Amino acid sequence: MVTNSPSTHLAHEDSGFLTARGLSRSFDGALVVDDVSFSIGRQEIFGLLGPNGAGKTTTIRMLSTVLAPDAGDVTIGGHSVLREADEVRKIIGVCPQELALYEELSARDNLVFFGRMAGLGRREAKDAAAENLGFVGLLDRASDAVRKFSGGMKRRVNIAVALMSRPQLLFLDEPTVGVDPQSRNHIFETILRLRDEGMTLLYTTHYMEEADRLCDNIGVMDHGRLIALDTPVGLKSAIGDPDEVTLEQVFLNLTGRSLRD
Amino acid sequence: MRLVLRQSLIIAAKDTRVFLKDWFGLGFALLFPLMFVLGFSLALRNIGPGDERLTITVATQEEEGVSHQIIGALAEESIVDLTVMEYGAAVRAVEDGDIGGFVAFPADFTSDLQGGLPTKLEVVAQIGDPETEAAILGFANAVAVASSNTRTAVQAIVQLAGEEALPQDMAAFGRDSDLLRFETEQIGPVEAFNAGDFTVPGYLTMFVFFAAALAAEAITRERANHTMERLMANGTRRESVVVGKYLGSVYRGAMQLAVLWGVGLVAFRIDLGFSPATVIMVSVLMVLTSAAFGVMLAGLVRTTASASSAAVLASLVLAPVGGCWWPLFVTPEWMQTLARITPHGWANSAFNKLMLFGAGGGDVVLEMAALAAFGVGFLVIAFARFRLSPHAS
Ligand SMILES: Nc1ncnc2c1ncn2[C@@H]1O[C@H](COP(=O)(O)OP(=O)(O)OP(=O)(O)O)[C@@H](O)[C@H]1O
Ligand SMILES: [Mg+2]
Repeated sequence: MVTNSPSTHLAHEDSGFLTARGLSRSFDGALVVDDVSFSIGRQEIFGLLGPNGAGKTTTIRMLSTVLAPDAGDVTIGGHSVLREADEVRKIIGVCPQELALYEELSARDNLVFFGRMAGLGRREAKDAAAENLGFVGLLDRASDAVRKFSGGMKRRVNIAVALMSRPQLLFLDEPTVGVDPQSRNHIFETILRLRDEGMTLLYTTHYMEEADRLCDNIGVMDHGRLIALDTPVGLKSAIGDPDEVTLEQVFLNLTGRSLRD
Repeated sequence: MRLVLRQSLIIAAKDTRVFLKDWFGLGFALLFPLMFVLGFSLALRNIGPGDERLTITVATQEEEGVSHQIIGALAEESIVDLTVMEYGAAVRAVEDGDIGGFVAFPADFTSDLQGGLPTKLEVVAQIGDPETEAAILGFANAVAVASSNTRTAVQAIVQLAGEEALPQDMAAFGRDSDLLRFETEQIGPVEAFNAGDFTVPGYLTMFVFFAAALAAEAITRERANHTMERLMANGTRRESVVVGKYLGSVYRGAMQLAVLWGVGLVAFRIDLGFSPATVIMVSVLMVLTSAAFGVMLAGLVRTTASASSAAVLASLVLAPVGGCWWPLFVTPEWMQTLARITPHGWANSAFNKLMLFGAGGGDVVLEMAALAAFGVGFLVIAFARFRLSPHAS
């Protein structure tokens, strides 16, 4: 699976593996991400929470080099996403919020294709595909067209694709949406195992208990701004006894109860 | 550069895999055009001259000589019903409207041939009777072919045995290669005897373009489902996607060519003319240009819906305008001019020249250049406008 590459232990320990400084982005005049700064240490699971439309996906798109920020910069593994996008792309993996898959192709063909595009050889890509499909529990369905999969199975393929490039940093944008408790638990185990194998993860979700359980640190976004940044316990302590308070209460407390777009 | 090449080849291979799993796409690209060819070939066979044998009138102003031999030989061929008339009577018959026109051999036909001088056939036809004109020009063509066959044989004998081996009046016939020409301004409208010679290239042009244009829809769908953005984060270059999508479309077009020409040759017994290689080259150029159009279209539109409507609209408008449904040479002048704004028009013009009028490769250089120019133009726009992200950003 994802192995701990030697470079994982090189410098930038202090400044964080990922550091975002003053990230901003607007669409059609509306400020969607507003001066966001944070950093993620190695082998950390960082949760990015926030109501619909808070700007989480837009932030991830900027962190993962596919959307240019209007202001600010990000370094990942010491490389700037603005000036060294090619270097950054070699060490990140992205599991987008959408199921970015080729429905007509089999699960294996999807993985092999993305692996080959990330630079793997034919043989290498095949092996990695089998490994990653096993990792998400889909090896027995490897030859079936993704079109025939259930929603939860597609989610797992979506994650497996992101693992094909053997990333050091993995972005997971709502990987558990629409997934049953069994699959979800499987995904949690996957995430924890990846972290144990040396990966750093940035994770978004609307399931608060999930974030509480998995994340080392949590950032809460609302209206494009990062309004809180702490450990789960730290966040809960701010409003009461961390053993009594739920992260959901913290979330509602921070972001209010009005509906979002 | 090597990276882009590698990535685009992988993308094209992936697209081919998807295409081969897509039964509708396969049917659309390969079976649909064949159904059209079949239908229209049957329909055209009944209205075309293939069934009613044409009556061709010839006249010669010679007392005796080669023209009489040619007429005699052609009379034995059963394609046409040959009527031989005296020259003056034939002219009067045309003036009176009794016949549409005729082909005439001049009085000095044989002596010119024997003297090594160029000579010409005269075509006398009523203005505004394209069908007769077509038939007569077709006949004149046949005469020219027959003469040049004879000439080739004569030249071969001369080479092997020397001029002495020939009857005296034949010797000069083999000497010069440009002896027989026929004078007519428009090299012209000749009705196809095999409807497939027109319908196969016509529908091939239409459906090669149609399938390639519809690729724009698939491209926008991939953009909308974020696979392209995912590739970008994966280290894939924008140019790799443009080239990969282009190549994938070219592969599909090549499959179309193989199937359509293959079935055309075997089942419809089409005749690729004197330069089959040029016919194939023109069709390959049409594939390259159409593929560029599809990728360009994907770069110009935002949504999948607009991509597919633009593709369908463009394909259904450009096909008839470009002469895929009926031969351009039966249409009025302005329509022939209009056809030049479409790649289809240039492709069909080349196919018709090559497959119906006996032209050679050198005669369709302009058509091929025009097709290539369209392709290059489309590609330039494609490179400038192609995006990987679902939203403009
Ligand atoms: N390409 C775009 N063009 C215009 N507006 C956009 C674009 N992308 C995002 N937005 C807007 O930016 C805001 C933040 O969107 P984003 O997708 O980042 O939110 P999110 O926090 O991921 O929400 P969710 O939890 O629903 O996924 C929204 O108001 C959205 O409408
Ligand atoms: Mg989102």
